[in-house]
Amino acid sequence: MSSRGRNFPFCDKDGCQMQDMAVVVDDSNAMDAQPNAALPGSVILRLSGISKFYARIPALTDVSVDFNAGEVHAILGENGAGKSTLMNIIAGVIRPQIGTIEFDGRIVSNLSPETAAALGIAISYQHPAILDDLSVLENLRVSLPPSLFAGKSPRAVAQAILDQVGLTVPLHARSDILTVAQKQLLEIGKALAIKPKVLILDEPTASLDQDATNLLFRCVREVAKAGTSVIYITHRLAELRQIAQRVTVLRDGRKRGSALVAEVSDQDLLAMIVGRRMGSAFPPKADGVGGINFAVGSLSGQNFSDVSFDVARGQILGIAGVAGNGQSELMRALAGLQPSKGEVRLSGQALSPHHLVHNAAFMPSDRHAEGLATGLTIRENAAISALDKFSSFGIVKRKAEMEHVSDAFRSLAVKAPSMEAAVKSLSGGNQQKVVMARASLSDPGLIIADEPTQGVDVGARAEIYRILREVSAKGIPVVVNSSDAAELEGLCDKVIVMSRGRVVETLVGADVAEDRIVAAAVGALTHVDREDNRNYNASASGWRHFVQTDNATAVPLTLVMILLALFVFTQNSHYLSSFNIGNILMLATALGFIALGQTVALILGGIDLSVGPLAGFLVVVASFFVNDGQAPSVILLGFALMFGLAIVVGLVNGLLIRFASFTPIAATLAMYIGLQGCSFILRDSPGGYINAAVVEWITWQIGPIPVAFAVLVLIALAAEHGLRNQRWGWQLRATGSNEDSARRIGLRIDRTFVAGYVASALFTVLGAIMLMAQIGVGDPAQGANYTLASITAVVLGGTSLRGGRGTFVGSVLGALLLTEVLNAVSFLGLSQTYQYVFQGALILMAALIYSTVRERAAAPH
Amino acid sequence: MTAQPHRRPRQVSRFALAKGFVTVVISTIVLIGLCLTFAPSSVAAGALAGSLPFAAILMIVGLGQMLVVQQGGFDLSVAGGVSLSVVLATHYPSGDDAQLLPAVLIAYTCAVAAGVVNGLLVGFVRLNAIVATIGMNALIYGVVFAVSGGVPRITTDLLAQVAGGESFGVGNAVWFAIAILAVTVFAMKKTIWGRRFEAIGANPLAAAAIGLNVRRHQMMAYVLAQLFYCSAGLLIAGITTQPTAFQGDSLLLPSVAVVVLGGTSLLGGRGFPISTAIAALFLNQLSQFAFAVGVPYSAQTIIQALALGLGIGIYSIHMPSFFGKINKLSNREEEDDAILS
Repeated sequence: MSSRGRNFPFCDKDGCQMQDMAVVVDDSNAMDAQPNAALPGSVILRLSGISKFYARIPALTDVSVDFNAGEVHAILGENGAGKSTLMNIIAGVIRPQIGTIEFDGRIVSNLSPETAAALGIAISYQHPAILDDLSVLENLRVSLPPSLFAGKSPRAVAQAILDQVGLTVPLHARSDILTVAQKQLLEIGKALAIKPKVLILDEPTASLDQDATNLLFRCVREVAKAGTSVIYITHRLAELRQIAQRVTVLRDGRKRGSALVAEVSDQDLLAMIVGRRMGSAFPPKADGVGGINFAVGSLSGQNFSDVSFDVARGQILGIAGVAGNGQSELMRALAGLQPSKGEVRLSGQALSPHHLVHNAAFMPSDRHAEGLATGLTIRENAAISALDKFSSFGIVKRKAEMEHVSDAFRSLAVKAPSMEAAVKSLSGGNQQKVVMARASLSDPGLIIADEPTQGVDVGARAEIYRILREVSAKGIPVVVNSSDAAELEGLCDKVIVMSRGRVVETLVGADVAEDRIVAAAVGALTHVDREDNRNYNASASGWRHFVQTDNATAVPLTLVMILLALFVFTQNSHYLSSFNIGNILMLATALGFIALGQTVALILGGIDLSVGPLAGFLVVVASFFVNDGQAPSVILLGFALMFGLAIVVGLVNGLLIRFASFTPIAATLAMYIGLQGCSFILRDSPGGYINAAVVEWITWQIGPIPVAFAVLVLIALAAEHGLRNQRWGWQLRATGSNEDSARRIGLRIDRTFVAGYVASALFTVLGAIMLMAQIGVGDPAQGANYTLASITAVVLGGTSLRGGRGTFVGSVLGALLLTEVLNAVSFLGLSQTYQYVFQGALILMAALIYSTVRERAAAPH
Repeated sequence: MTAQPHRRPRQVSRFALAKGFVTVVISTIVLIGLCLTFAPSSVAAGALAGSLPFAAILMIVGLGQMLVVQQGGFDLSVAGGVSLSVVLATHYPSGDDAQLLPAVLIAYTCAVAAGVVNGLLVGFVRLNAIVATIGMNALIYGVVFAVSGGVPRITTDLLAQVAGGESFGVGNAVWFAIAILAVTVFAMKKTIWGRRFEAIGANPLAAAAIGLNVRRHQMMAYVLAQLFYCSAGLLIAGITTQPTAFQGDSLLLPSVAVVVLGGTSLLGGRGFPISTAIAALFLNQLSQFAFAVGVPYSAQTIIQALALGLGIGIYSIHMPSFFGKINKLSNREEEDDAILS
């Protein structure tokens, strides 16, 4: 199938690209004549002839750059110029198809994030790879090499890292309370901490205020002085002059030239950045200017403020600026998808966000995420917002639907094999036309097009421009956001340029030109307002901090347990007898161990439905070996077999999930059913009595406390300690918290997942051993209900099903509380009804309370 | 652009659309072939008359689960929902036919209430579907015990006649299942509501962007699912002379299995009601076949597990595999690129 996808032929277009390539290669050779021997510092990193293609589209073509030690080398270019691809190649995240990377004179093949880190290449992403569920300290410790902390107080090392970048947040604060700017500083601190040979900074100042920017520049100068080669990616000419010695300009994935900053003028740099050759023609612009039909007055929202503009009938408004300066939030607000304050008037009528959702047709930049239902056909997608039009009494009339949709497709020239083709079989341009067909069918009052030609081939672009122009001519206001200034020049009658969420320039008529737009966007000196930046709540005080930790649930759980025990004791004095306490603890131990296993799966963001049947199955297996009269060696073999089988089950679960793309539910569900079957094959009815001496050992009690329970508590405490303070614990939580960020900081995701499911199975063995002593016989019908009970216990304990957050201690407490409640019901002489009602009410209340507390704790972004 | 380049996507799309249906139909035909060759008794009229009503019940429960799975959810309260309507239909009338209609009405009212609570918890409070439905299942079982005390009671004659009787040589339960299937297919494909429901399941973000009420539709999935479970419970109450209070427990896993075998993704998206229904027949017949060739009851679940694993395997090697995986990889990189640039 893959080859089919790739061959998806646009022969004429490919040809056109080849020509394109030839032209620009000449061009870049001519400009790249700067020898670099003039500067001190040897070449540390050399890229030669790097090319990278996505499907057929080149992201980088034949890029060769040298980076010198002790120098700040800026990479300049518009969005989509290939800067980020280049950076990701150096960081080992992306592999180029062609070209070589030389580090310190040696050719490095197969650069991965881990090997890049080992070489001393550090990267600070514009979107920081900070894991929200881990604390600031844990974020530093999981992503930095352990050697950095060796022999020193980790807190002191971490504090020094924060001080270096001027970040003032408590080390134990959970990262989700940090603002974007603070995360950015933390990310930079991480990169600086390893004293890298090559330091990549990707738009580091995008969210920083002036003070933080100055501090950062000081750091960068010091680092460079010490011999580090700094690669500084930016959009801003002003910054470039402040910090960089050398600059390389990329455009359309090709190198446009390199120069010493001191020797090149802003005009020359601008000339290198702009001048993209547009492959497609634009329709003529609006000739006569009509009355204003769409006006926005001092609109403010998330990431943008005080935006005002108006559009005359027939005009297309463009929104320009460096990506991430509030344009996309403004677009979403105009589409009514984000709250905003201010005035939006359409044909003189003020519209609230609620009205906007229904009036505006939104064409999102990410069509797959938000634009189209890719699993459905193009007919279904196009018709979805206009179903009322072709139906009567709630029933869709197929003929009317077909007519309307095919009319729309015809007028937009959608090229598709049939109306019933799947959306994903179309090219990007035709997918975008399906979005437009949907918009036009719904008779919108307004079109909000966010990056309408992103991922669209050249031929279809021209048609999309034509369609937008036609819609606009009909009197429907069209707002286009594009990071491509040349596109805005060709398409729009009026352009507003945004920087840091504000309008910094409004261009009309002949001023709508690429160089003016780019100059306004990259020349803007605005900085993020200070108050936006430093408003984190200092959750430093001990108690308030504790409430936000994963272990906070221990307090209410213990309280509830004690109160419940006291209440039942007043009703029935036998409740707190040594016998009953031992009984409760013994029952809770089996559930507790299994719950520990379930906790691992849930922290990973998965679930293990197979734990219950696995426990039952292992007991049945044991019932063949661990019998009265068996030799000790056979009994030991039985135990070894239990562990061995559990490891196999864990491996199969993990491998199915990671390498056969099963969802965790599907994989462990199949395992659930299969294990139940295996139990019944081994024994179709209870049999095989467990060795009495072994049972006695397992159920050994000191006073009312079973030793096994003490073991459970010790294991839970040790596991809890590891989860917070050891590398495996951070890895587990990091992987569950955000797989993508975990991958970027160089963790081995697949290995962690598989190991996690094996750990889950191993904890289940311990539970099975307890279960074996309780039942005393191999019963194939036992065990299965431990799956739901374990999930209940873990949720009660406070582990989140979203992954990343969990507590082993809480899970044990959850198991204890659940067992106590079930036991109390019988002591109070209540019917079985209450057993179920209490169980259900407990889990729902716990889930409701925990989710509300968490929502409150997280900082609003 | 010429017309030629567009021939390939046509094959791809047809192939992808039909895959779930084709797989389950072929499997069923092969299974019936095996039955005819090796275990003719399992497809004899008598055996079918005995087993089809149970396939019908699984079909109805599976359709309910499918609606929830379509919305990216998961319903563990199947067991409670089915068991509750079983006990309400047997205990409340206690053998008195006149009391049957009120009992049925009460059962449906309870089902709506349970579904609304599930839907509110998942759709509006945004609780995890598994947690919410585990909790709800326990609460429903609380009601089951409050009503029945856990003791089975004999079903009324009228219900036995309506649900357990035969029309045109086929068990009434089968007719009920076919009717429910027909209504589901019609509602899903032909009504505005169904079309929106599918679109929301396929991409809730995109649906929200065009102003559809995502949460309300997600809630409706849970309500309808409970209504389906309730209907299945009523049929069980009629077919089984003395149904227990735990009648629903054995339906939970098969309900998920038929949804998955029918080709509906556990991550949500388009639902395949007809394929789900055929998968119910398949799973039921698989048990019959295994039974007839002398596989002990015990081993049957292993066969089911293998069938399920194989089914999921086939579906994950279809779109989301080769083509999709490569697509996903490059998309992911492109996404990174877009985010980072």
